Amino acid sequence: VLDLEVEASDPDHARAEVERMCAELLANPLIESYEIELAEDR
Amino acid sequence: MTESRPRVAVVVFPGSNDDRDAGLALEKLGADPVLHWHAEPALPEVGAVVLPGGFSYGDYLRAGAIARFSPAMRAVADFAADGGLVLGICNGFQVLCEAGLLPGALRPNESLAFVCKDVPLRVERNDVPFLGTCEVGQRLTIPVKHGEGCYLADTELLEASRQIVLRYDGENPNGSVDDIAGVVNADGNVMGLMPHPEHAVDPLLGSTDGALILGALVDRARERLFAAA
Repeated sequence: VLDLEVEASDPDHARAEVERMCAELLANPLIESYEIELAEDR
Repeated sequence: MTESRPRVAVVVFPGSNDDRDAGLALEKLGADPVLHWHAEPALPEVGAVVLPGGFSYGDYLRAGAIARFSPAMRAVADFAADGGLVLGICNGFQVLCEAGLLPGALRPNESLAFVCKDVPLRVERNDVPFLGTCEVGQRLTIPVKHGEGCYLADTELLEASRQIVLRYDGENPNGSVDDIAGVVNADGNVMGLMPHPEHAVDPLLGSTDGALILGALVDRARERLFAAA
């Protein structure tokens, strides 16, 4: 599990940002899958 | 660089550890090797590029995943797009896959154990620049030493495009699909393999079969640099 803190104006933007990070670096879609769970605001 | 010694870049990432061995092997085989620090965005004028083995950036996240963002890798991609020869050995193979310059991905060995031994290989193609001095079906003995060499790709696609160039001949040391040990890109100018040809260029170390691959690379580097001379 990777815990990320993302600064974003709303949850959709936060999710989109993390999607981009997964697609570009955090996961290799050939061999890895991923799910994103948004936590409460801190 | 002289006409008889073509310059070949060996890209050095933080954590590379076979860069000097690759340089020594290339020098022994007639090249003028240049160790090229990964943070340098522009490659010098070279006839070929080698991405060496090691643990670039500690192989954090996945092997090769971070190295592919290095400034030098953009230049390597441009060099490859221009038809330049790029050879990725072990961690270099992993970097090329992560960078999208080669198909597929490398997972932890099926045994989950690091493997370090001489392995027999079978040459599947000799119409790519790296294997031009080999015969199809020729058996090469070259050592592997890796923890993440279990290659995975769509083998039907690779077969159709003839991108499989080396297979393990006999025991498969890592569980790679279809016994694949090395592949090329569609154009045949980028090759990745898990075995280490730079560790097999001196009879003192048991085999000189690696010299067939690196020697062919040096010859083609010489042609690229000096064809117009």
